[in-house]
Amino acid sequence: MIQNFLSMNGYGLYVWAAFSITLISCVLVFYKTQKTLKKHEREFAKEINELSAEKRKSVMENSKIASQVLSSFSKTI
Amino acid sequence: MFSLLSPSNIFYWIGKLITFINSIFFILLIVALSFALIFSPPDYLQGDSVRIMYVHVPSAWIGLASFTCIALLSIANFIFKTKNLIIITKSIAPLGLMFTCLAIITGSLWGQPTWGTWWAWDARLTSMVILALFYIGYIVAHKFILPDEKANKISSIIVIVGLINIPIIKFSVDWWNTLHQPASIKLIGTNTIHSSMLTPLLLMFFVMLLYCALIFLMKYKTEIIRMKKKNLKRL
Repeated sequence: MIQNFLSMNGYGLYVWAAFSITLISCVLVFYKTQKTLKKHEREFAKEINELSAEKRKSVMENSKIASQVLSSFSKTI
Repeated sequence: MFSLLSPSNIFYWIGKLITFINSIFFILLIVALSFALIFSPPDYLQGDSVRIMYVHVPSAWIGLASFTCIALLSIANFIFKTKNLIIITKSIAPLGLMFTCLAIITGSLWGQPTWGTWWAWDARLTSMVILALFYIGYIVAHKFILPDEKANKISSIIVIVGLINIPIIKFSVDWWNTLHQPASIKLIGTNTIHSSMLTPLLLMFFVMLLYCALIFLMKYKTEIIRMKKKNLKRL
């Protein structure tokens, strides 16, 4: 039965190739996108931390996005 | 009402949506793959090679839909000049290119056992390659042309010109004699596909759409952070 499933009655090579190429490209794009997102989050959080205390306070008060990134980033480390 | 659409609220909801899609995606993928590879019957003529349809057709649909979306948003951008629209189109384009290429590759893998050839320069196949070239043109314009305003203008012109290709792709199988079969699923009129094959097809399409939404949201979030980073430097 498993043999039949893998061979797909002689079309196994084509069917499995089509499904694996689709799956592999989707997984690669997902990881690349996630890596870029994390990189930008990390750099953004680092830049906020490097600001003087006064500037940081004003950024955090004025930008909800900055505070969200900083809090989500500190959760992951 | 308008406070819901503020950037910080959108950013908050993007985060929530990404977590939600991540949590249900894997289960849905397994269900869709089980239907596509196990529960759906083989075709009476094409045998099990018909299963390639479950990745080929949704990929082609997404490739076409993404391009139409980018072109319409680019037209809207010419009228309303909103930076947000450019960010959205830039986030959709790589996904559209990937799915167009996947439709071409999986189509080629389906063509070999069915038609006896990997490739034929017929109307549907050629117009899909042209679509991929338009996508490449759009992405390259954004990557290499400076300043940004000029890149936006040129890339918008590329996609708006490319929009002519969309009806050509859609109707190529009706207008010319092609190796490619005509559409079995119609928005208007009766479908010529049995429900045992339509169910896995729609399931796979839904899963791929969810995947696109996930990648799009992640890219969109990245662009927002990139913009905020630029603003931070101005302080």
